[in-house]
Amino acid sequence: MSTAKKPMITDIFVAGAKKGWIIASTSTVPNVLMAFVIIAALQLTGALELMGNVFSPVMAVFGLPGEAAAVLIGAWMSMGGAVGVAISLFDAGIMTGEHIAIMVPAIYLMGSQVQYLGRILGPIGTEGRYIPVMIVISVINAFASMLLMNIII
Amino acid sequence: MSNSTDRKVSIGAYIALAAAIIFFSGLLQGKGALSVFDFNTLNGSFGTMANAVTESADGINVTTTTMRGAGGFGARDGFMFALTLVPTVMFAMGMIAVFEHYGALEAARKLLTPLLRPLASIPGSTGMALIASLQSTDAGSAMTRQLADDGELTKRETDIFAMFQFTAGATIVNAFSSGAVLYTLTNSAGESVVPTSIAFAVGIMFIFKFVGANLFKLYLNLTEGKAGKKAVETAIEGEKA
Repeated sequence: MSTAKKPMITDIFVAGAKKGWIIASTSTVPNVLMAFVIIAALQLTGALELMGNVFSPVMAVFGLPGEAAAVLIGAWMSMGGAVGVAISLFDAGIMTGEHIAIMVPAIYLMGSQVQYLGRILGPIGTEGRYIPVMIVISVINAFASMLLMNIII
Repeated sequence: MSNSTDRKVSIGAYIALAAAIIFFSGLLQGKGALSVFDFNTLNGSFGTMANAVTESADGINVTTTTMRGAGGFGARDGFMFALTLVPTVMFAMGMIAVFEHYGALEAARKLLTPLLRPLASIPGSTGMALIASLQSTDAGSAMTRQLADDGELTKRETDIFAMFQFTAGATIVNAFSSGAVLYTLTNSAGESVVPTSIAFAVGIMFIFKFVGANLFKLYLNLTEGKAGKKAVETAIEGEKA
């Protein structure tokens, strides 16, 4: 770090922002678009309302509406998708800012695990028999974080 | 990789770490000139455009909207909305790069190293891999594999460390590239609606990563006995902790 030519702080910022542009254009935009389509489909078919009713007793424990379950299910597949789902539920007036604050840590704690099975546990060489346990612990983590956030907020 | 545990960390690095935490914590939001050190303040807002003009007894009323427009639905609305997230992601990643350049993560590694054994039952030599895993799951897992292959980690430690990385994977990059936008949501009056801050949320995630590692350790203790001892009584299936 010290011997190489010192880069300007502006260059460092721009390099980071460029990385942000790539993440935004290749991950955020497609994921949010997908989430909006899924929520639109769920709304049109009435499945979202059904989901809201079915999950309402469970989610109420965390101070959340039943539909918030869609955020968690989405998170498990893709963190970015879950953020999109949360935003579209906020837009639809189903979730409030407080609900979102409760859910943020949970989205990441159980987030993108479908992908991370291959990207974390694969390269490390974790034994297959531990994988279900690790997933269960991540989900426990997510629900515990919602309990905690519900108390804090 | 592992011999870097004792590398010196300058005071500047600790300042960078503290600055990063303050910057993303929202502490200085609305504090006059000091709010220049606040992420959401500098992230700013979009200008508004006229949406609808109606005439009533009180005169002409104009409602405004952002560039996303109002009343959209489906993929097109999702796309327009996603576009409004792009600057937040770019700004957050740009600032993360700056804080990282000034050693914020080095300082975090230095502070964490002595805590890893008591908090997560993994050796301090994993500090480097741990910090890498907060930014990239691929870098974290590759470095972990290396440590395991070099004999720096026992199988048990490797498994516990894998659990640590698996929950909230690549925490920093993921939280700042997608989570940060949630804290920019506003109501129709343009007021911020999400209480707490992204820095707070990341702190909670970090705590739960340690919780996860300990739950997994507990699971191993229950099913395979304490450290190292191979499971003889596999019949006792102590499910989740």
